[in-house]
Amino acid sequence: MTYVALAYGFIWGAVFTYVLLVGRRVARIDAEIEDLRQRVKTGS
Amino acid sequence: MLSTMSSAQKSNTAFVVGLLLVLHGFFVVTLLVANAPLEKTMGIVQKIFYFHVPCAWLLMLSTFVCAAGSLAYLFRGSERGDRLALCSAELGVLFGLCVLVTGPLWARAAWGVFWTWDVRLTSSLLLWLMLVAYGLARRYGGAGGRRLASAMALFAAADVPLVYLSVNVWRTLHPTTKVVSSLAPGMRLPFFLSLAIFSALWGVLLTLRMRVERAQSRLLELTIVVEDAEEKSP
Repeated sequence: MTYVALAYGFIWGAVFTYVLLVGRRVARIDAEIEDLRQRVKTGS
Repeated sequence: MLSTMSSAQKSNTAFVVGLLLVLHGFFVVTLLVANAPLEKTMGIVQKIFYFHVPCAWLLMLSTFVCAAGSLAYLFRGSERGDRLALCSAELGVLFGLCVLVTGPLWARAAWGVFWTWDVRLTSSLLLWLMLVAYGLARRYGGAGGRRLASAMALFAAADVPLVYLSVNVWRTLHPTTKVVSSLAPGMRLPFFLSLAIFSALWGVLLTLRMRVERAQSRLLELTIVVEDAEEKSP
């Protein structure tokens, strides 16, 4: 039972971590977009 | 209501609905797997099979999609193909890691050891390492890194038939490909449903990752335009 729980838990953990990493990348892109918006605003 | 939504909103709604369906599917699969009949010799450890095999299938699918995208990039210069290759390679690394962790857990109970240099295990490890190398070549390969990585993806795809057929061609400890067709009737529904749900999860993750990659490349284009404008302005 321990091995089954470990296997199942690992898969969920791995998928969850991957989604978190993609989420962090999205947050970084959002910050860059905001930065670009500010530059356009100050330049115009 | 749908008619008043923009295409981006519709796309987001479809994505969220897809994600919820996949999560619901995982709940159903978990219940089905828990209630599936126990295998006579392996006992409860055999239930790892319901997750291990779908992950292995997704490792192979990801490699083929990565190779197809790489071909489009190498021969047509397709940026979309390149993005598809990168995103599917990442998913190949993710699901390959799941295969390489869940397999040894099963092996420890079945064979008494976590790892043996069996042809199926070794070729699977090589396939995973090739996808890791693909990612490293893209990240640190410099100017020609994308083309180098694309060529590596073609080699990785050539390893997939070797991985799949190895258990039938060579004498190995690993069960052969006939294990799926010889499943007991009570095990078939949980297995094939698990396969379908894992594939759906792969589709959702690929869509999500492709969107992020597209946003990243659009942002890069816009940054270049803004920097050009800033240089030209007095």
